[in-house]
Amino acid sequence: MLRATLKGMASRKARLVLTSLAVVLGTMFVAAAMVLTATMEKSVSGVIADAFTGVDAVVTSAEDPAAAQGNTPSATLIPADVLDTVRGVDGVDTADGDVSGQVNAIGDDGKLVGAFAPTIGFNWNDQSTGYNEIRDGRGPQADDEVIVSAQFVTDAGLSIGDTVTAYSYSADRADYEIVGVFGLSGDRDSLAGETQMGFTTAEAQRLLTQGENAYMTIYVTGDAATGDIADAIGADYRVQTGEEASEEAAEGFAAVADIMGYIFLGFGLVAVFVSVFLIINTFTIIVAQRQRELALLRAIGAARGQVVGSVLAEAAVIGVIASIAGLGLGVLLGWGLSQLVSSSAMGGLPVELEVPPTSLWALAVGIGVTVLSAIIPAVRASGVPPVAAMREAVNPPKPLRGITIAGLAVTAVGGVLVALGLTDNLGDLGLTGFLTGVGIAFVGITLLTPILSRPLVALLGAVMSWSFSGRLGKLNAGRNPRRTAITASALMIAVALVTGIATIVSSFKETTAELADQNLDSDLIVMGQQGANIPTFAPETLAEIKALPDVSAVGDMYGEFFGAEVDGRQTALLASEDLPTSLGIFSGTVAEGSADLPDDGLAVNESAAADYGVELGDTVPVTFADGTEVPLRVSAILDDALLTDGWWVAPAQIEHFTVPKPMQAYIQVADGADVDAVQDQVDDILADEPEVSVTNNADFVEQQTSQLDILLNSVQILLALAIIIAIIGVVNTLVLSVLERTRELGLLRAIGMTRGQARRMITVESVIICLFGAVLGIAVGIGLGWTVQQALEEEGLTSFALPWDLIVTYLVAAVAVGLLAAIAPAARAAKLNVLNAIAYE
Amino acid sequence: MSTASPVKTTAVSAEGVWKAYGTGEAQVVALRDVSVQFASGAFTAIMGPSGSGKSTLMHCLAGLDTTDRGTVHIGDTPVTGLSDKALTKLRRDKIGFIFQQFNLLPTLTAEENITLPAAIAGAKADPDWIKKIIHTLDLTDRLSHKPTELSGGQQQRVACARALASRPEVVFADEPTGNLDTRSGAEVLRFLRTSVDEFGQTIVMVTHDPSAAAYADRVVFLADGQIVEDMTEPTADKVIDKMKHFEELVAAAQEAAA
Repeated sequence: MLRATLKGMASRKARLVLTSLAVVLGTMFVAAAMVLTATMEKSVSGVIADAFTGVDAVVTSAEDPAAAQGNTPSATLIPADVLDTVRGVDGVDTADGDVSGQVNAIGDDGKLVGAFAPTIGFNWNDQSTGYNEIRDGRGPQADDEVIVSAQFVTDAGLSIGDTVTAYSYSADRADYEIVGVFGLSGDRDSLAGETQMGFTTAEAQRLLTQGENAYMTIYVTGDAATGDIADAIGADYRVQTGEEASEEAAEGFAAVADIMGYIFLGFGLVAVFVSVFLIINTFTIIVAQRQRELALLRAIGAARGQVVGSVLAEAAVIGVIASIAGLGLGVLLGWGLSQLVSSSAMGGLPVELEVPPTSLWALAVGIGVTVLSAIIPAVRASGVPPVAAMREAVNPPKPLRGITIAGLAVTAVGGVLVALGLTDNLGDLGLTGFLTGVGIAFVGITLLTPILSRPLVALLGAVMSWSFSGRLGKLNAGRNPRRTAITASALMIAVALVTGIATIVSSFKETTAELADQNLDSDLIVMGQQGANIPTFAPETLAEIKALPDVSAVGDMYGEFFGAEVDGRQTALLASEDLPTSLGIFSGTVAEGSADLPDDGLAVNESAAADYGVELGDTVPVTFADGTEVPLRVSAILDDALLTDGWWVAPAQIEHFTVPKPMQAYIQVADGADVDAVQDQVDDILADEPEVSVTNNADFVEQQTSQLDILLNSVQILLALAIIIAIIGVVNTLVLSVLERTRELGLLRAIGMTRGQARRMITVESVIICLFGAVLGIAVGIGLGWTVQQALEEEGLTSFALPWDLIVTYLVAAVAVGLLAAIAPAARAAKLNVLNAIAYE
Repeated sequence: MSTASPVKTTAVSAEGVWKAYGTGEAQVVALRDVSVQFASGAFTAIMGPSGSGKSTLMHCLAGLDTTDRGTVHIGDTPVTGLSDKALTKLRRDKIGFIFQQFNLLPTLTAEENITLPAAIAGAKADPDWIKKIIHTLDLTDRLSHKPTELSGGQQQRVACARALASRPEVVFADEPTGNLDTRSGAEVLRFLRTSVDEFGQTIVMVTHDPSAAAYADRVVFLADGQIVEDMTEPTADKVIDKMKHFEELVAAAQEAAA
């Protein structure tokens, strides 16, 4: 039996290759995802381990490092006397204090160095030279000297001998002479794209610890037990071995690779999911082709089980070969992607290929999916009655009632899960529930596609029916609703996913545009790219802008986002030099009291006030990140409004902010004045502000949503992948149709249909199937997008907008896919030997 | 070997046609130097046992198969050597087909199947003519039915109507009653007879059923790729009688050829 199976397979090579391709693509992406993740993890931990080479113990503050995000509250610092204590512990050879944190440096072009990757400032000491290699010059010996990383030289356009201006949140600008350039071990310029500046310890402390003689970390060498060190310095500090610290650090870096890995895993799983349809269809085709052969086997005594076994064996062979090929290609792809990630985001980190044992799961997935998908056709094959061997094969269309009811039920289950997932009823499992629901709903809708194909194919076909061969093509497309549906499903799923995401993205854009429109009563906006730091500018600049003759009003915003507390609860604090004006520009309104805050005044929106249980006139204790604690009195309650919600303190309190500088300014241009001209003037004023620039409202919206476009573009890759699989599916179906209708085609050719007409007929069928898939996918995608938008409406996604341009693109793409997929089957139909076709039994 | 008296004009003619399949040892000569003419407005049956070459002859005459040697004409048009495109046009405009398997398009209604050749040609079928055929074939109340909703006899009558719809110069019928019961078969044959008598249609029918051949004006007997007998005004009995002595006929023909 197995021999017969294998021989049969050999005679159907082309179809098997096409089917295998789908399985190969699926397993390839799954395997690549796993290899990428493991390879990046290994490579990163290798590098990090390098950094900790020779370090025997690491001392850090026991405070949660998350609290230190964005700035450096003194609570997480290690005072200098602790370093001395550590040095005194028995067995400690050396102990060095490390100060590091984000700094801002102004490059040759007057803008901040490194738009997205941070600039790290640190104290250059003896330890630094272990891991870093000086390429040129020397380390800093005076406070106005700095050694920079090679990446810094590249990004800033400055090098040895040049003067660079740098500052931090808490320290003003200072000029430094670049006295050296260093690289990282392994001849790299950067660890992960960041730029680095090494200062003297005193200068690093001025920039990063607000001048305190303290450190973030202490690196210890020697054979002292970590326990002894911990005993000596007390419970405020955490002592780890070098290895532990290295692992912890590696985890953070590997997160980037993890995210990439998840994305590819997602691509792989979608490809596998789509392949299921293709495999089911292919085996249905193979079984249909082999109907006589199978019936003959049954007639000469093969049991039903043997027939099932024969089909499943074929599936298993395909699954094994395709999965192994997929795994192999996946390892290559994973390695290539690792190189790409390394060179684009990790500063040329040397990649050490790691094929994790888990990547064997890709094999299991590929084989399992192939065999499972073949079960339905296999069981159907075993139902072929022996007498079919003697009869002409007739496959009457089965009624669609059962599949439709099942489809409705499954879709409903998926819908309920989606709804639950989006409405927080599932708690932490919300996202899982939502995604599972989407998956189940897709299966349900797929079951509904046969019943939907009837009206939709008729409708789409009506457009194509202008020629007679087109009309025949339309009729053929509607002939076997199950087959048409399952073929179109592959395309449907891909288009639905992309349309769904595109719809959410366009809704975000629309919402942002409307927000700017409705809530912002300004013409120009001064703000910076949201990069590694929160961009700010000098208060004097704000005054200069206000002084411009054509500027009628300026709203401004200061912010403190970490480390501040109101009534003992961590929260952000806002401030404005002129709150009444700012409220006007931000469309905020005062419900009670006055927005003209006294020095000890506090304004808060209604819901926050209710949340904290405070009323007008109440006094609330407020703690700033610098430790200052003051009782402030609620002197204004604001109506809830999108841009003005939160706690506002008086201008007098701004000095307590970690960054006492404005983040954003919103400019109203005087009536009749030229907005462009004012923009130019503001631009001139901002010439000395590296972090921010001025934009008009339209550009502002564009900027806010540009990241979403990147997301959307990467998701389209998924569509491309699914399209390849969809094309294979359509080709398969059409080839089957041509085979099954050989006699019909022969008749048509006998009574005068030209080859061109025959080709057109097949092409129209192909285009209709693809359009059907695309239209359905777009509808499902819009539904998906709408559901998400509705669920996020309360979170601020208030507008629903359709991505019309993309929808049109997808439809055009569907037609193109249809044309492409039809080429080979149509040629086959046209080349058909009329005589053989008629004589064909 | 005799041919029909050339009283009428010739609708289809074959001159010295040879056809062989396969090569070397496996070669089978299907037609050996066959020359035959079919008069316009006549109903001719081609008979012969299995493997006699009768279907091959019909395929060559209809431009469905190529000849190795010899020429075929439909009316004045030489069929031999035409391009696929020209052949397609020839079949569309000048030839009608009736098959044993009916060969209707399952997606189209009876009426659409009847007007199919015109639709393929992008032309409009002559409505009066179509109406007349449909009436003669008693298909008037079956027009909106799909083939699966029709009996075998009805399906074959639809196929007949389709073959005649474009008023072809000749209709080739390949075992038209092969898949039908006796009564339905007789209906179809009576219609073919009528179309010859009343509409002046030319019909060439391949069959191995003597009672079907009896409907024809003339029967051409084929054996081993050669014409062995040409009978006018056949009856079922005369045909059966001839077939009983088939071996003698074949022997005589081979002697003549040698």
